[in-house]
Amino acid sequence: MPTPPSPLDGPADGLAAASALRAIADELEDAEVERAMRAGWSWSQVAEALGVTRQAVHKKHLRRLLLAQIELRRRNGE
Amino acid sequence: MSRILAARRLAPVLVAWGIGPSVSHQFEIEAKRDGAKAIEAEHMLLALAAGPGGDVAKLLGEAGLDYHRLAAALRDERRRTLAFAGMKVPDTKLVATTELDGSLTFGTSAKAAIRRALVGARHERHRRHLRSTDLLAGILDAELGTVPRALAISGIDRAEMASRAWGFKG
Repeated sequence: MPTPPSPLDGPADGLAAASALRAIADELEDAEVERAMRAGWSWSQVAEALGVTRQAVHKKHLRRLLLAQIELRRRNGE
Repeated sequence: MSRILAARRLAPVLVAWGIGPSVSHQFEIEAKRDGAKAIEAEHMLLALAAGPGGDVAKLLGEAGLDYHRLAAALRDERRRTLAFAGMKVPDTKLVATTELDGSLTFGTSAKAAIRRALVGARHERHRRHLRSTDLLAGILDAELGTVPRALAISGIDRAEMASRAWGFKG
């Protein structure tokens, strides 16, 4: 059997970094979307700033924002 | 078995296999403390290490490890990993969010560890219950990822510890 690669050498650091950065990016997005909505941003504004669709932001963040009891702007208020 | 592991809620499966609900609960506590969205192998490892005076604590102690040393090793791993990308560990306040309700699911590394523990327990001893040391062995059998990285940084012989965990008779 070939020797398994070291968990620290070669591509291992880079792959671990990619995974860690992805998790941090997700956490940062959660935190900043929450902050933006607390500050009264609309779904469309948040989506535009993130470079994704309004539906994508809605789907990903609505549940947490409702739990956080943030007053969300209605579509006609945008 | 793959169908069981694909289920969103693995905790009842573990309970059915004799792993107490308090241990499963501790997995979740560690994951939440880490700000993670799923329970991963490193959270299971910390949770198992948090049980004082048990078999896992004994095995870890033989390698000079305990909960606090493991937590420090995992912090070192995170620092090293992020340093590779030129980053520091972010301030927890920067990424603080409202916590979702409900229980966390098991992530890929945790499912893999549980699968190895179940397979190992079944093959080696023909029994239908898991010991906490089987879970430890399942976690330690991973060759790549956060836990092996943290142990390697700390100079721990992971493979040797895994084989002692598999052979543990209590």
